[in-house]
Amino acid sequence: MEVGRLPISASLRGKLISAGYTTFASLSSLSHSDLARDLKIPESEALEILKAASLNCGLDKPDKSNVIVNGAQTAWEMLHEEQSFPRITTSSSDLDNILGGGINCKEVTEIGGLPGIGKTQMGIQLAVNVQIPVDLGGLGGKAVYVDTEGSFMVERALQIAKASIVEMSNYTELLKKKNRVCQVDIQPTDILDNIFYFRICTYTEQIALINYLDKFILEHKDVKIVIVDSVTFHFRQDFEDLALRTRLLGGMALKLMNLAKKYNLAVVIFNQATTKYVEGSFQLSLALGDSWSHCCTNRVILHWNGDERNAYLDKSPSLRSASASFSVTSEGIRNSASNHKRIKLM
Amino acid sequence: MTSENLLTRPLIAEKLTLGCPLLDRCLGGGLPCCSITELVAESSCGKTQFCLQLALSASSLYLHTEFPFPFRRLHQLSQAFRSSHANLVAINPWEDVYVDAVHNAHQMLDIMPKIESFIESEKPRLPVRLIVIDSIAALFRTEFNNTPLDLKRRSSLFFKISGKLKSLANRFRSAVVVTNQVVDFMGASDGANGVKVGNFGSLHSLGRRVCPALGLAWANCVNSRVFLSRNEMVVGERVSFTFVGQSIKEVFLA
Repeated sequence: MEVGRLPISASLRGKLISAGYTTFASLSSLSHSDLARDLKIPESEALEILKAASLNCGLDKPDKSNVIVNGAQTAWEMLHEEQSFPRITTSSSDLDNILGGGINCKEVTEIGGLPGIGKTQMGIQLAVNVQIPVDLGGLGGKAVYVDTEGSFMVERALQIAKASIVEMSNYTELLKKKNRVCQVDIQPTDILDNIFYFRICTYTEQIALINYLDKFILEHKDVKIVIVDSVTFHFRQDFEDLALRTRLLGGMALKLMNLAKKYNLAVVIFNQATTKYVEGSFQLSLALGDSWSHCCTNRVILHWNGDERNAYLDKSPSLRSASASFSVTSEGIRNSASNHKRIKLM
Repeated sequence: MTSENLLTRPLIAEKLTLGCPLLDRCLGGGLPCCSITELVAESSCGKTQFCLQLALSASSLYLHTEFPFPFRRLHQLSQAFRSSHANLVAINPWEDVYVDAVHNAHQMLDIMPKIESFIESEKPRLPVRLIVIDSIAALFRTEFNNTPLDLKRRSSLFFKISGKLKSLANRFRSAVVVTNQVVDFMGASDGANGVKVGNFGSLHSLGRRVCPALGLAWANCVNSRVFLSRNEMVVGERVSFTFVGQSIKEVFLA
């Protein structure tokens, strides 16, 4: 019996059990005046009992809360938690702005676009940016990169890592001028070392890996982003039973969402673009169908606008739809260089 | 399942040289291994010549879909190759090129396991590091009508074939080169509904606006795309090469 563990006098314990309170859960959300009334004891004693109970099961929650039931949080606490976690920058400030600061942890973000628009480049940039140290406003975490298409190139990742280190040292110089000291001592090979790379060649491997990731991240708690590039490739082969495909994809999406929430990390999945016959004409949309489009928290569509690459925030629970342009340079993803995107206010 | 440590891979990916230092420099050393590179060009721009030369610079498997296979030209190139590489005195480069014919897409899918066991086996003298398919467009020309059902079947074949090729490339650390044809470009390429693939809205060859054949689905299946074009020449040779895909640059060779 759980209440047997409480450090209270035997008579109080007897009163608790005879009144029907045998577990800590039954004592949760009970005020001391209610307990005092039920047990016919003074309120101070009731308060002590409740304190002892909350201490006993609140031991693994460093932030004290009045709720004993595990997992329940007030919305206020959730807001604080969300605000305290930095987002992962995409290295393009325009893009970060429409994303509300960057890619958010605890959420699944889907990024899709035509071939050659820069999805893999974005993936590599995020895998590098998640490693920005906490002193410089980043997450200081590691990345898991799941490559299904074979488009990840180590030399490109090295190139982006080197450029990122240069930017970080410039930033530390700036901070030094403001008398804030932090050291950036990272080598490009260290950055590569912190990317856990998986190459998978069939859809069964893909499903098996996503199932395995839970255990993997349990052993590597500093992973802060999981990138799947791309989730579509192996699922566009002929599935005789489309319902099976939908079930498999749904299961995968659920696992990824659970990963994101449980370990407080960001999940970014890349999708391919395809044409959909809508209202008599072919329109561009993302692959895998309508049921898949419900599975992610945020959706960003990358497309061409003339000669510029644009990102359009299509789905988000808290931000409004907006579009921003970006470019892919030898240093990675950066703001686009054109000038006419800025609106001048009179 | 274990993650691969990126530092165990070579920091600069292994590349297959094209034979021309200028082109190699544009492509960052040559065609990358472990990925599929597509060569897109109008007919008679030089795709097969490129492929024959590439096939000679490595132990390769050449799958041709258009007939006849230019054996004599291969022999000729091989002689030239041998004379320019002094260390190949006793070896004929063309003995390391394994040629096979493929007639349609289903056959292509069927022979994948045979290809895998061939490369694994003792039969090739050197490990096969290049697989060439010349051309992929010809495989899909005859059996598919323009109905949604047939196009869907065609798309699923694209992904199946490309998936198997990529896993072969990954397993044997080899390069895969696929050639494709062009079709005339119709319609808009702008806005969210325009289907612009790659960095250039439309490519030009011999004065026409063209785009690669086989459509958007196939474009999702390759890792890099190289466009070869030919301009009408007035005086002297002028061939331009436009690169689309992983490294984007445009080079004009005078």
